Amino acid sequence: MLRYLAQRLGQAAVIVAIVAAITFALIHLAPGDPFSDMMDNPNVNESVRQTLRAQYGFDRPLPEQFVRYVNSLAHGQLGWSISNQRPVLEVLGSALPNTLLLMGVALVGSFTLGILIALIQVARRGSIIDYTLSGISLFFFSMPDFWLAILTLLTFTYWLPVFPVGGAVDPVMHEYMGLGGRFIDRLWHLALPALTLMLLASAVVARYQRAALLDVLPADYIRTARLKGLTEREILRRHALRNALLPIISLVGLSFPALLTGAFFVEKIFAWPGMGLAVMSAIGTRDYPLVVGGVIIGSIMVTFGSLLSDLLYAWADPRLRSH
Amino acid sequence: MAAMRYAGLLCALAMCGCVGTESSSAKNSGGTLAISTGGDPDVLIPSLVQSVQAAQMTDMIYDRLADIGDSLNIVNDKGFVPRLADHWTWAADSLSITFHINPKAKWHDGFPVRSSDVRFTVASAKDSSLGSPVTPLITNIDSVSTPDSLTAVYWFHARSPQQFYDAVYQLSIMPEHVWQSIPPASWRASDAARNPIGSGQYRFLRWIPRAAVELVADTANYRGAPKLSRLVWSIAPDFQAAVTRFLTGETDFFEQLRLENLPEVAKHPELRTKQYHALQYSFVQFNLRDPAHHDRPHPLFSNRELRRALTMATDRATIVRSVFGALALPALGPTVRAYPTTDPNLTQIPFDLPRARQILDSLGWRVSTSDSVRRRNGRPLQFTLSVPSSSKVRVQTAVILQEQLRQAGVKMDVEQLDFPVIVEKDRKRTFDATIGQWNTQPSPGAVLGSWGIGGSRASSGNNHGSYENPVFDAYVDSALASFDPAKRKAYFTSAYETIIQDAPAIWLAEPSPTVGYHSRLQLATLRPDAWWIHIPEWWIPADKRIPRDNTPQSATPPPAQPAGQKTP
Amino acid sequence: MPGQIQDSAATRLARPRESPLALGVRRILRRPSSRVAFFVLGVIVLVGLLAPLVAPYNPSAQPDIVGLKDLPPSLAHPFGTDPYSRDVLSRVIYGARLSLMIGVLATIVSLTVGVAYGAISGYAGGFLDAVMMRVLDAFLSIPRLLLLIGVLVAWPNLSIGALVVFLGLTGWFGLSRIVRGQVLALKHAEFVTAAQALGASRRRILWRHLLPNLVSPIVVAATLGVAHVIVLEAGLSYLGIGVPKPLASWGNIIQDGADQVATLWWMSLFPGLFMVLTVMTLNVLGEALRDTYERR
Repeated sequence: MLRYLAQRLGQAAVIVAIVAAITFALIHLAPGDPFSDMMDNPNVNESVRQTLRAQYGFDRPLPEQFVRYVNSLAHGQLGWSISNQRPVLEVLGSALPNTLLLMGVALVGSFTLGILIALIQVARRGSIIDYTLSGISLFFFSMPDFWLAILTLLTFTYWLPVFPVGGAVDPVMHEYMGLGGRFIDRLWHLALPALTLMLLASAVVARYQRAALLDVLPADYIRTARLKGLTEREILRRHALRNALLPIISLVGLSFPALLTGAFFVEKIFAWPGMGLAVMSAIGTRDYPLVVGGVIIGSIMVTFGSLLSDLLYAWADPRLRSH
Repeated sequence: MAAMRYAGLLCALAMCGCVGTESSSAKNSGGTLAISTGGDPDVLIPSLVQSVQAAQMTDMIYDRLADIGDSLNIVNDKGFVPRLADHWTWAADSLSITFHINPKAKWHDGFPVRSSDVRFTVASAKDSSLGSPVTPLITNIDSVSTPDSLTAVYWFHARSPQQFYDAVYQLSIMPEHVWQSIPPASWRASDAARNPIGSGQYRFLRWIPRAAVELVADTANYRGAPKLSRLVWSIAPDFQAAVTRFLTGETDFFEQLRLENLPEVAKHPELRTKQYHALQYSFVQFNLRDPAHHDRPHPLFSNRELRRALTMATDRATIVRSVFGALALPALGPTVRAYPTTDPNLTQIPFDLPRARQILDSLGWRVSTSDSVRRRNGRPLQFTLSVPSSSKVRVQTAVILQEQLRQAGVKMDVEQLDFPVIVEKDRKRTFDATIGQWNTQPSPGAVLGSWGIGGSRASSGNNHGSYENPVFDAYVDSALASFDPAKRKAYFTSAYETIIQDAPAIWLAEPSPTVGYHSRLQLATLRPDAWWIHIPEWWIPADKRIPRDNTPQSATPPPAQPAGQKTP
Repeated sequence: MPGQIQDSAATRLARPRESPLALGVRRILRRPSSRVAFFVLGVIVLVGLLAPLVAPYNPSAQPDIVGLKDLPPSLAHPFGTDPYSRDVLSRVIYGARLSLMIGVLATIVSLTVGVAYGAISGYAGGFLDAVMMRVLDAFLSIPRLLLLIGVLVAWPNLSIGALVVFLGLTGWFGLSRIVRGQVLALKHAEFVTAAQALGASRRRILWRHLLPNLVSPIVVAATLGVAHVIVLEAGLSYLGIGVPKPLASWGNIIQDGADQVATLWWMSLFPGLFMVLTVMTLNVLGEALRDTYERR
């Protein structure tokens, strides 16, 4: 197990290094050289500019630039965000917890809801409920993230003014609320974006879990359980679910990129102050260092997400555990 | 709010009924104004602001020596009201004005306001390394001298009818002790810019990017405490979200209602609207220089006939009716009808599509058979129009324009960028064409800043298109130097007709903005050049308070102390 | 003829009698859901192809920007008009054409690159294979939207052709893995060794036997890939970095109405519905195909 961990960690490190090479290529292939543009920008502090010059060494030959670049990445220097007047790592780092909160809540919610739907569908397979739920989950599965976000924002803030119009906290009142009030304020602002993201993701989970359950059900040990006299529900609960949960663990890792992309759109439309909103805002401001920083951090998140799920899988699967 | 508490304490001690004039005026103090806005301010330094949000905030935080009256009379000093200067005297030859600073005036960090602050403000604004758009507008001011700590003397190069206006209107006074140690080129990115210290009736509390800016009342202000205790700008991600926040009651005020929002507002009985006359005009600006090489002329727009042809191909009246409805008039030129010196019958370039096509043909731009875009020597007649994505009006105008020009065989690409990026492009003159809008000043002489040679030559000037015509400048200068109103008008008319025929821009609209506000707010006059200037006089009656008006007093933090400063 | 492989039991395993595409399509059409999806998709594709004939108005014409703007759905304009008096139905029809075209072309790019990359990697084996796979993993770890944003912000004002190429270049990763797997499996298959013993060149054997086995994953990847690209392009157009104005794509139309979602609801509803419908049909067909092939 430890050897597996070490192996996967090594792989992850290699992947991140290659991603660094990809972003380096992106930076240098971009026309107009947006990074070096910063060097002449009077809006940036002179001391900051000098640090950047030392880090990136734009007048040096390309291989040396790459070495400097990787070196600065390793030290956590992701560049300077012009539109925020702060280091990129600071901007993204302070925004990241908000994204993780959103994704975490949506992940838990979507897997719960998705598994539930799948169980219902399998328990009543072939019935009208099964087909209806299939249709609904297909509908949400095929929906573009931003469209659902626009619709939910419109429905629950304009037509039925239940939730607040975007943001993480009430800009006018939050600082003056008590501790309990602030908690509820945050919860109320989190609800709609998290619900939207959850809806999108649970469709994926429901479909995959249903397929996984249907695969497992004809298996030998299930037939034995049936012969033993267990009810369908007990079979589902005790045997099928546990074995179909294994693909769920790998699904967590696989759904990470999609969850991250969905979070980006949801954050933009709901003005949720996470990493997604920062990167989306960087599109309009042409803040290229911030965009590239987002790419790097996004891929690190995905890599470690899949690493985590691989490890969980290895730990959970008794077949793999035996060596 | 403090007055209320004090009155309550008195009552408790004296055990008497508390009904008196003290409490009734205290009753009208307090409350929160939440303004819905679509973007962050660009910078909170008065001499550098470009965005209207930033102008609103800096006008609350900082003071001018004197402010213009609501009638916008800019000639001499009759129409002005005292601010930091409580009175002033003219020298006999009118080449200098002596301002006496109000001795009670204090900066928000406790330091008193001194004449050295005034001298510093003027000197820094004249420093070209600051990159301030105000620099070309204060050329008549030679310098400021400080005979004592409460007296500042402005020295002018020449007499002019708007000498006083030039002296006081362009500059809000900044604290020398905060800014003198920072080189002007670094002001924008400095820490001091994120914690502005002024002398105004509101002090800065916090700025959370993309979320909110909050100001609180300066209760010990030399002009008295403002009625509303809190101002919050709620920054929404886009126009729709900003309007929705206003409609759902999350905010109290929205400054740019569009035609299609009015029916929605009408459905809410607690919301009101008010239209006012502003000093705004919008235009499609051509860059007459090559965006990549500023010393070379623009391959397309340096040609006067081409610009005139493009203007002729544009149906401006229909654009204005489509985008604004009845809420705007077609612009006459780089001016507004509110100026007494503007002739409403200025000769315009007419909308004449066949003639436009003729001119383009004669210039050598022929329609090719393949895609109906005109070409000359293989080059297509193509350019990019950059607009801020946050301004729905400009985006809409751009799409309409795209189609109208297409019918003349011109390919115009529309590029949408965030407002700060557009400001940068304007500043660096790296655009092809853009849609600009000026909230112009009470003085018609401000046109030199945006269309005169000085504004073009100065790297921080507002003449982003680099239009330079000495004849235009001469007419405006003559107008500004005349004391005879009829002559002023005649000179301005000649100036405007010159620039209209030169067509450095396609003049679009003169909007009459409509604000939306919550009915509990009692507004003061909405001054045409700055509707927000009388916010300190706005109030909310005690019986109309809503929950967010009653914030606990203890939440107000002590005044900001800049790092390294000694207490006075 | 020397070197030519005769029909033998071994080769029959690798080369099915009927074209796998035809087989797959025939099988899935037995299901009612696939039949419906096929029909609906067919209608949408037809409408897109025949857009100039089907659309009632010119999609970029602005006939009367004062009197005909912002009209709600009516008989004359079933999907209403936008703020520029353009007919939304016509724009949605042309949007179908453009979005489908972009989807198909980008997917063709993806398939080409994916097959080539996977085939080379699997065939080469050894160190090159390992390096190529690690690079692939790296690309897979970057969410596709992020990668596209990174590219499109650096190259603003792209033409549609360039957009298609970039969309295609970011979507081949999954397929190349599958292709590589197929190539590896084939490399070690018994009949290859047998055929080599008979004198045929290795490369020729792989080529003849690889392609038929690739048809199924390619078809599945193509169907689902087009769905992905449609959604992605809509998202990019909504962000303003996709299809440029004044061209109509579903994402563009939604963006035009984004500022007044409440009052101009028809500009968000109809393009979105069509998008969901198209993607749903593609998903149904793609998954049905995948199920069919997997159960072989």
